[in-house]
Amino acid sequence: MFGKLLKYDFRSMLKQFAFIWPAALVLALVNRFTVNSFVTSASGLRQTVSGVAMLVYVGIMIAMFVVTIIFVIQRFFRGLLGDEGYLMHTLPVSPWQLIGSKLLCAVVTTLLSIVVAILSILLIMPISWINILDMFKGFSYLFSHWNMELTHSVLFLLEFLLLICLGMANGYLHLYLSMAIGHLFNRNRVAMSVVAYIAINALVGILIGILGNMGLRNLSIPYDLINFGNAPVAAMHLFFWISILIALAGDAVYFFCTEYILRKRLNLE
Amino acid sequence: MNELLVTCTGLTKYYGQKPALTGVNLELGRGRIVGLLGPNGSGKTTFIKILCGLLQPTDGAILIDGQPAGPYTKSVISYLPDRMYFADWMKATDLFDLFADFYADFDRARAMSMCASLGVTPSDRLKSMSKGTKEKVQLVLVMARKAQLYLLDEPIAGVDPAARDFILNTILTNYNEDGTVLISTHLISDIEKVLDEAIFLKDGQIVLHDTADNIRERENKSVDALFREVFRAQNMEGGAF
Repeated sequence: MFGKLLKYDFRSMLKQFAFIWPAALVLALVNRFTVNSFVTSASGLRQTVSGVAMLVYVGIMIAMFVVTIIFVIQRFFRGLLGDEGYLMHTLPVSPWQLIGSKLLCAVVTTLLSIVVAILSILLIMPISWINILDMFKGFSYLFSHWNMELTHSVLFLLEFLLLICLGMANGYLHLYLSMAIGHLFNRNRVAMSVVAYIAINALVGILIGILGNMGLRNLSIPYDLINFGNAPVAAMHLFFWISILIALAGDAVYFFCTEYILRKRLNLE
Repeated sequence: MNELLVTCTGLTKYYGQKPALTGVNLELGRGRIVGLLGPNGSGKTTFIKILCGLLQPTDGAILIDGQPAGPYTKSVISYLPDRMYFADWMKATDLFDLFADFYADFDRARAMSMCASLGVTPSDRLKSMSKGTKEKVQLVLVMARKAQLYLLDEPIAGVDPAARDFILNTILTNYNEDGTVLISTHLISDIEKVLDEAIFLKDGQIVLHDTADNIRERENKSVDALFREVFRAQNMEGGAF
């Protein structure tokens, strides 16, 4: 059932981004040929064309990320807490599957937007493939200099990506929980969601402050373990995994609070 | 398969301090057409939402086919809400795909033939359909399932009298004969002739639950007439006249 939910969430994502992703890449390609003339060309017309092309490109980049955030919010607020909720919550699935599917789709959508942004920059910059090859040679030189094996560098990359995804999920789950709290009110649901968002933000800030003050001071073990002098590679891995666990714990709290509200306190209009 | 399809014991729902249902006890069998009858605000929609799992009761228990509300009960319930619940950019056929994916008892071929007889073009975008056509699509989705329990919340309230018979006919010719249909409405005369049982809901409590034949025999009047009597009395009790 989870796979079927994902299918429909991804379908609606493709529908939403079917225009803006290709448009961003096409505009990047246009800029690849116009960007130089801004500096080199003596013709005022060519300069104007190149300036406008760049402006449109920057505009579509900003729009792409704004649309991404709005898409994530709308899919949850309208899809689960609005009228469409009458359909979604009577499907034979559990609330955690509904939230999980929305979240996974949100994270993948954001990653794809980031990939499109990076690709578009690579398209604009007049880089040849030889340059990119050189770049990789540079990386491998760096790694070999650190006496780091390839497996470790790949592991670091994966740990880093996992941390990014969990951090992204954290931001979105924060939004989800705020909207779930906001929907409990019978009036001003949007305003109450914003209030909930700010309140959670403050609460998390206080919690981190308290934990940082009392907890970490007594936790001398990680400091001993994260000893970059003796075993830098192991220490880096440990650092990553502690961060991943902290992010995961935060995600879990947000997720289960949201799930509880949708399971026990659903309040569709 | 459980003998009883629906069992409610002491079902109570409060919205804040305001009671919507208080101590509802109810048992429903299979293969019936049941009218859930009551004026506006008597708790009909609340009761239906609890049955289909959209609301959690404040107190009391509810079992459908012996199970508490969850993915299983949702798989055997076909629910027609009192509003549109689909995204505008979809086509009716997209919704058929969705229903076929999630409900094993959805009959796509029947949905298509129902569309034909109701005059709906399923390949049209929902955005371009009129309100009445959208309601028909929703009715097709709900009735093309071979569900055990159909929950129809005011299916005829928003349409003209001519369309009412059409919709009732669609319900009657398509529901699963082993399943039970629960229709909530305050337009009793329109559905009286099809009812096997009637439930009168008044201020969140069941004041009467009997077969339509028993009611007519005992009271010597139609369900509609009895309904008018019961709920007119309420007005006089509560009124300041």
